[in-house]
Amino acid sequence: MKDIYDCKILIVDDEPELRKMVGEILREAGFYRLIQAENCAAARRAFSSGRPDAVILDVMLPDGDGFSLMREFRAASPAPVLFLSAKDEDEDRLLGLGLGADDYITKPFLPRELTLRLQAILSRAYFPAVLREKPRPVFFLGGRKIDLNRGTVESGGESRVLTAKEFALLGKLYENRGRIVTFDSLCRDVWGDDLSACENTLMVHIRRLREKIEPDPSAPRYLLTARGLGYRLTGVTEA
Amino acid sequence: MKSIAKILSRYVLSAAGVALILLLLNLTAFYAWMMKNADDTSGQGRVSAIAQALKEKDGAYSLTPEGEKMIDGRFAWAMLLDGEGNAVWSRNLPGDVKRKYTVAEAASFSRWYLNGYPVSVWRYSQGLLVLGAPKGSLWKYQVQFPEKVLRSAPAWLTGTLIANCAAAVILALLFGLRLIRSLKPLAQGIEDMARKQPVFLPPGGLLGDLAEKLNDTSRLLQEQEAFLQKRDTVRTHWIAGVSHDIRTPLSVVMGYASHLEESPALPEPEREKARVIRRQSERIRALINDLNLASKLEYDMQPLRRSKFRPAELVRAAAADFLNRGLDVSRYPIEVTVKEGAQELVLNGDRELVQRAVSNLIQNSIRHNPDGCAVTVCVEPLYSCCKISVRDSGSGFPQKVLRAISAPITPEPLDSHGLGLTIVRGIARAHGGKAEFRNLPQGGGEASLLLPCPVPEQESKGPICRDNRGRTNPGSRS
Repeated sequence: MKDIYDCKILIVDDEPELRKMVGEILREAGFYRLIQAENCAAARRAFSSGRPDAVILDVMLPDGDGFSLMREFRAASPAPVLFLSAKDEDEDRLLGLGLGADDYITKPFLPRELTLRLQAILSRAYFPAVLREKPRPVFFLGGRKIDLNRGTVESGGESRVLTAKEFALLGKLYENRGRIVTFDSLCRDVWGDDLSACENTLMVHIRRLREKIEPDPSAPRYLLTARGLGYRLTGVTEA
Repeated sequence: MKSIAKILSRYVLSAAGVALILLLLNLTAFYAWMMKNADDTSGQGRVSAIAQALKEKDGAYSLTPEGEKMIDGRFAWAMLLDGEGNAVWSRNLPGDVKRKYTVAEAASFSRWYLNGYPVSVWRYSQGLLVLGAPKGSLWKYQVQFPEKVLRSAPAWLTGTLIANCAAAVILALLFGLRLIRSLKPLAQGIEDMARKQPVFLPPGGLLGDLAEKLNDTSRLLQEQEAFLQKRDTVRTHWIAGVSHDIRTPLSVVMGYASHLEESPALPEPEREKARVIRRQSERIRALINDLNLASKLEYDMQPLRRSKFRPAELVRAAAADFLNRGLDVSRYPIEVTVKEGAQELVLNGDRELVQRAVSNLIQNSIRHNPDGCAVTVCVEPLYSCCKISVRDSGSGFPQKVLRAISAPITPEPLDSHGLGLTIVRGIARAHGGKAEFRNLPQGGGEASLLLPCPVPEQESKGPICRDNRGRTNPGSRS
């Protein structure tokens, strides 16, 4: 298996149109080894003969429920299971996840949502992050080059090092670039505390960060304040 | 049970009062009767009058006609004894009455009877006037009391009265307690019924028929409650079922529309049409979810996943979410105000649902003011509540919506945009709080969520957040 797209996927749903559509979505996304089943009995046969690497499972099937079917599969193989259900009851969702389902999508869903989630659980199951060396981002804010691998800001041949807190703040803001990150979530992520406990500290660190990444820290162009809400990193150019 | 104690004390007091009044009435009547009859029978006044009517003239005696009338009216006979005990005058004297008496004989009959005739005597100059009433007409009894006793009589009488009262109170208390014993299960039954609990009282006893009626009423109430519950459950399940059935076909519609939208093989106008189908499908999905949530909240079937969270943080997240989703800030400037003391507030509730309520309110302001409006979200502590208000500078709530959403019981049917506000109300109610809607005098509308929240270091006083339906909510207890 070279990558997740080599995974064999079993689609179990009693609605043929939906099965067909999910198949097309997955094929479009790059998956090519697909098998389908319309009920529990067919799913059991397909599971034992086809040995799929992942299962997309409907909760309500004509001859049984998906939860007990998943339990059977789990006894035989660690293949991840993603539920696709028309029930949005919280209990169902929790039951599914509590039983060890890898994800739970409520119908109706967008194709992109399904493929993204499937890709995520397949990567987790077969290509864990620890085995992959994923470089941290490098990006530009105007003329400044920010390298999160080295934790540096370079401008005009001069390189300044980010402190641990500045690094964490900038990382969080970059992950959500273009979007407001509230004071509360910055505090929680960087200091693990409530806003009331670290409001002043946050302001001090933002000011120091601006001194490193902004041409004019008193008139910021990249690290903007959303008044009363949080901060937003904008004007990012990917390296 | 308080009312039972009141009934008992009232009962005892009135019983004691009745006893006292009866006693006094009886005493008065007895006294009056005694006075009247004693006057009639003792006859001392009449005897003296008869004595005066007997005139002596030269050793001969004569009676005036009035005196005769008086004697014949009440006495059988009369005689006058002189100093030696000889009868010197008489009238209707029967044969069995002697004409001469010794001092001893005179002394013995003077107070009692003479040959069976009850007699009265009166001193008449040197002699004694003796009047005899018919045999068997008068009962004579001599009363003698030591003077000491008579002097202490007022004290005795008062004591007797008090003792009587006490006895009356004790008796009334005993009888009252017996009555209360039979009333108590009834009172308990009524209390149970008010708490919607089934009532079964033993049908026997003093108030057996009342108990049976209570049992019947309770059974009826229980049946109605069960019926209502069943209807609510059926309705919620029906809505859940219908939305469940819509989800699968809608998945196919949304899936293919989204697929077409991204298909490079299609010309742009066709892809735009696919985009419209996808967006409208998403709207249907949102509507189904809203409908489901609204019906579950309405019938207390929405489970709450409670956790502790800060409302100030939640409000910032809700506002940031609108901005991050590309809200046009030039037309809809959003401002978040966290009042003094509100930053530290901690709510215990379903964070996702409360954020949903705040988002619904912001969304409502935006949707109903297409020309733009300023939105202010404010968090403040208010007595034992946390008040989250969303106000806008737009057109305010239409009167019809305001009336319907403020109605205490089932709101009037609202069109689709009313569902958002119905959900807000349901979420507030599920948290044991309430939602208030009003139009501002300067224009625009304000919607407030009042959620119960212990204010740190401040005694809770003033109004408590309470749902104006006054209905207990199982959801809020979970």
